[in-house]
Amino acid sequence: MIDPSWIAGLGVILFGIGLIGAFTRKNAIVVLMCIEVMLNAANLNFVAGTMYWGGSDGWVFTAIAIAIAAAEVAIGLAIFLSLYSTQETISLDEANILRN
Amino acid sequence: MSEIKSEAGLLVYILPFLAIVPLMHNQGWDSSESAILIVAVPFVTFPVILVAGQLYNGHDTWKNKLKEGGILALGALGTSLSAALWIVYDYFDALPDFGDQHSISQWLEWVSFDLLQSDYTLAAETNILGVGVWVDSVTLMLLFVATFLCFLICWFSLGYMNTDPINEDRNHRFYGEFVLFALGMFGMVLADNFLWLFIFWEIMGLCSYLLIGFYYWKESAAYAAKKAFLTTRVGDVFLMVGLFILYDIYGSLEFSVIFHDPSLHGTVDSAKLFWALLMMFIGAVGKSAQFPLHVWLPDAMEGPTPVSALIHAATMVNAGLYLVARMVPFVDVGHHGVPGLEDLGLIIAYVGGITAFMAAAIAFVQNDIKKVLAYSTMSQLAYIFTGLGAALWFYNHDEHHAAVVVFGASMFHLFNHAMAKGMLFMASGSVIHEVHHAHDHLHHGHGDHEHFDPQDMRNMGGLASKMPITATAMMVGSMSIIGIPLIGGFWSKEGIIAETWLAALDHEPLMIGPAILVILTAGMTGFYMSRMWFMTFAGEPKSDVVAHVHEATPWIKEPLIILTVISALGGIAFALLGATDYLSSSYGNAGHLKLHESTLVESVIYQLEHAFLPENQNLRLVGWTTILLSFIIGPVFAARIHGGPLAEGESATPAVSWLVRISGKFGSQDVSALSESDLAEALENRLYFDDLYEGLLAKTVLPMAAFAAWFDRNVIDGVIKQIESNSVSGSLQIRTITTGSARDYILMAAVGMLSIIALIWGIGS
Repeated sequence: MIDPSWIAGLGVILFGIGLIGAFTRKNAIVVLMCIEVMLNAANLNFVAGTMYWGGSDGWVFTAIAIAIAAAEVAIGLAIFLSLYSTQETISLDEANILRN
Repeated sequence: MSEIKSEAGLLVYILPFLAIVPLMHNQGWDSSESAILIVAVPFVTFPVILVAGQLYNGHDTWKNKLKEGGILALGALGTSLSAALWIVYDYFDALPDFGDQHSISQWLEWVSFDLLQSDYTLAAETNILGVGVWVDSVTLMLLFVATFLCFLICWFSLGYMNTDPINEDRNHRFYGEFVLFALGMFGMVLADNFLWLFIFWEIMGLCSYLLIGFYYWKESAAYAAKKAFLTTRVGDVFLMVGLFILYDIYGSLEFSVIFHDPSLHGTVDSAKLFWALLMMFIGAVGKSAQFPLHVWLPDAMEGPTPVSALIHAATMVNAGLYLVARMVPFVDVGHHGVPGLEDLGLIIAYVGGITAFMAAAIAFVQNDIKKVLAYSTMSQLAYIFTGLGAALWFYNHDEHHAAVVVFGASMFHLFNHAMAKGMLFMASGSVIHEVHHAHDHLHHGHGDHEHFDPQDMRNMGGLASKMPITATAMMVGSMSIIGIPLIGGFWSKEGIIAETWLAALDHEPLMIGPAILVILTAGMTGFYMSRMWFMTFAGEPKSDVVAHVHEATPWIKEPLIILTVISALGGIAFALLGATDYLSSSYGNAGHLKLHESTLVESVIYQLEHAFLPENQNLRLVGWTTILLSFIIGPVFAARIHGGPLAEGESATPAVSWLVRISGKFGSQDVSALSESDLAEALENRLYFDDLYEGLLAKTVLPMAAFAAWFDRNVIDGVIKQIESNSVSGSLQIRTITTGSARDYILMAAVGMLSIIALIWGIGS
């Protein structure tokens, strides 16, 4: 059995990767992928916690979070499609008409 | 004729309403439970009329079939009337067995609260303000008067309001407010505590304001509405203070607690109670238009005539009397009342006496037919106040028999006056309506509307041959108000005057003031009511309009006929039943109803003896003086000045032609010298009370209002404007950080999350 702290550590690393990616990349699809990575880091934390304390809450949360992530991706992609059809770009630096 | 028939066919629409009460009876409801219907049906109907009026204004069905809501209003008021009649019936049915039992049903606790004591701990018992119904004989009498007259006057309005083009597409407002008013009146009469009584009291005040200002685009109407509202508000503030003191004394405003807990009365401070009752009386003075808060009632005649008939003659102005009648248990020393409150009775009697005399004097010189009736209303209400004052005095002096008689007479006068005055106003409305109609017909398109006043009696005269039903109704109503022997108000007025004199002669010398004033007023009533009738119906026509007047409008005659019969015969019927004793039985011994004690013949003899030939010699003199003044002297003077035969070839209906003929016999007297005297001018200016009050207001209230306006504009608004400009500039600062770049937002979210984690970490460790 793997020690839960390894799993939690992997979650921290994945979260960091996702966060840095979301900061630095311009392409909206890549940003979305980074967000998914962060989400899965959180799922890993649930798994680690459940292994450490016992019980089944974490498994259930993880299952729900995965389902929600799938829905979120669908919405995110739909937003980018409509962004592209109106702005002709999916670069986050150029999509800034909501400023001020 | 066929037109009238199709009008009557509209009554089909009120049948669903009228089915409610029998249905509830079948379902096994109790009559006292159905009391909620009396208030609830108008409560549901008034928003329906207002909303439907907005939605369907001008639609054919709404206008012609539903009479712009009039039929709905009539149905709702008919439901209230039938539920009220059911309660009256049940009450009389139970009377021989139970005496005067109060049927009370408390439905729900409205508010409950704990009181903070002076040492900042909560009091042991929870205070409860409830909602319920209180029924005793006084309630029943007023309930009957209110529901019955609301129904009849609503009926009358269908003819009066809906045929006048000026009201077109506005009547839903009239009927909605009319029904709301009815709700207020019924609720006030049924309420089982002073708090709800006050709430409904204010609803009536609001409706009075709205309906006086029905023609709000006329400056005089808007002014009159404002004046009525503000003047009665003065009284209402005092009433509220009185209720506060009352709550302080008893710890409750429920009738059942205040009236029926003898242990409370033993410990009550009579000086404190005196002030509470006096404050409440001032509230009654405002509502019932008594001196010195009487100035609003004559101006209130700016409203449509049905409003004058209902609110300012027959029901709302009786609210003050009802409040004073509710004071009896406080002062009834024979039944655990508080001794030492005789002064209250004296004050009430004096206010009544002064108002009765003053209003009758001002009525001498009025030429507007509705203004005469308005002053007459003030004067007659003042009679009832005098009677109630004497009753309170007697109760507090433990003269139980005299107290019961004069209290009953006062309540009975309230009944007679409401019936007669409601009918007189409707009759005057009929006259005004037809004269106006005739004038429009005659001068169609000539446009001298501005100079013709259809309410001015100097434009009438000789209408007896044109309007037989109205003339008869007005004659009977005037007779009831004057107190012509055997008709309507005679029985009750005689009782009030006699008992006031009894108090003055045998017990309290100070009572002589009101006693003299009311007996003089009896004669003056005879004059001004006869003057009104003769000016309107007898003599030669005073303008060319009269020849074109017809009694043609539908819906107007039926209420007049019904009320004529009641005014003419109701008094004698009730007198035979011993009504004066009965109506006061709720505060007296049970079983006063003479019908159950002796045969009908004995009862008749008893009543006749007491009205015409009281046992006391002095009272016998007083009684016959009253009859002489009101029956002979007043009307004869009026006939000499204003009477006269009709024009050649005109003949009146037999019911009134005898009166016209007699009036012609007295010849005519020239009084132009008298009418130019200083006294007449003072009376025409209403004894300068209005000027005095306006002057006082200009000196005191207006500067204060100007200061308040300045304070509001500069201090209160200034603070708010400063806050507003600060938040505008602040938000301009804040919006610079919204860059529109998703990267910045993610950064902000991350920094925010990290600081929250850091915060939790810091607190945890």
